[in-house]
Amino acid sequence: MRAATRLTAAGRAVAARLAITQVRFTALNAVGLVALLSGILSFLVISQLTRELKGIGATDLIGTVIVVAIVRELGPLLTALVVVGRSGTAIAAELATNQVMGEVRALEFMGIDPKQYLVLPRFVGSLVSVFALLIVFDFVAIMAGFAAARFNGLPGPRYFQIVLESLTNRDVWLTIFKALAFGAIVGVVPSYFGLAVRRASTEIPIAASRAVVAALVGIFLCSALFVALG
Amino acid sequence: MSTLPLVFDSIPIARQASGPFSLEVAERRTVAVLGDEDSGVGLLGGYALGLERPPAGRVLIFGTVIATLPEPERLAFRRRVGYLPAGEGLLQNLSLRDNVALPLRFGSGAAPREIEGRVTVMLTALRLTGAANLRPAQANEEERRRAALARAIAFDPMLLILEQPFDGLTARVASELLEIARGGESAEGARRTIFITGQEIPPIIMRRVDQVYRLTRAGMLEPETSGFGTRG
Repeated sequence: MRAATRLTAAGRAVAARLAITQVRFTALNAVGLVALLSGILSFLVISQLTRELKGIGATDLIGTVIVVAIVRELGPLLTALVVVGRSGTAIAAELATNQVMGEVRALEFMGIDPKQYLVLPRFVGSLVSVFALLIVFDFVAIMAGFAAARFNGLPGPRYFQIVLESLTNRDVWLTIFKALAFGAIVGVVPSYFGLAVRRASTEIPIAASRAVVAALVGIFLCSALFVALG
Repeated sequence: MSTLPLVFDSIPIARQASGPFSLEVAERRTVAVLGDEDSGVGLLGGYALGLERPPAGRVLIFGTVIATLPEPERLAFRRRVGYLPAGEGLLQNLSLRDNVALPLRFGSGAAPREIEGRVTVMLTALRLTGAANLRPAQANEEERRRAALARAIAFDPMLLILEQPFDGLTARVASELLEIARGGESAEGARRTIFITGQEIPPIIMRRVDQVYRLTRAGMLEPETSGFGTRG
């Protein structure tokens, strides 16, 4: 945050361009994968549940499952896992390569803070990307759930009524906070491991691997913390 | 405290140093320190800019030890010094033009249009207009060196530190780059103070350098006796 406040106007423009590039790679290129995962997961879960719950006359519980299990818990978690798998490794490997190639040192001798040029755009890009992909995930999940419910004989309007009744402001805020927290982890942890590399190119895959493991642990712990606090 | 452009004060530099390394570079002088890889000559630029800390002694630039400054001040201070590292240190994912512009964009506070104007002037002066949009990997060694020099003088520094600046260049190009680095002449000498390190420099450059020293493997500094003598 301090790095951002010290940026000049032209520096901000460069950092913004880099952040947009990061969003393109992290979010735009991952939309298809996230939509596919979300659609299949939601369709399978809601199909199974609709059949089972119809038998005991408890179809109203579908709304709770969609909101609590998919939108609030699995949505942020799976979205963050996709981003860590695709972009966390890329961020760590890219920054480690910058370090090995002497580009981090080059920034320092030019009087440029590497955190401003390398970390800040990736941090902002990851925050925006996880948030945007989560919206995609939740939208596709709800629509796939609708398709599954219709497929299993539940009327469409009834499905949306059940989902909307189950959705509270608290769920929305919790999902937003999770997206921001997971986005921050995806932006910061791989950057840290990438920049921690010293000189040898053999350290690059090690840094990428450590970054992914640490980010995954961070995301699961953070998710558990949200459940404990929520 | 000395306000000389560059002072190395009692730095143990070579592995088998018999004594510490000390050197003062006066204003407007062009000074070269040459030595084998084992001599530790490649460390001098990093020490001067506070990129690495010497095990003992200190390096002062305009009377300030950069390495001890807090990070924001350290970064700001480095903009007062131009640095052309061995291997150029250009960012591979940027064009040569963007490499030259980058320090200005992050450090000058000037309007984007002013920055682009200054970059165009520098690219023209370094005869890089045709190669400006190439990435470093697409450019030849001479173009990369020209771009690295343009970046080093982006803030019009009064002190330039050049590491192996002429390796792989023809005598004509080396001579041209040194003249651009010096920034013009006046009665007192060059406009800028230049500190060159490397293993060798071409004979034609030797004639343009005020003082040439050779760093021995034992860390001793000896005036160069290549036949051209020292002018300083």
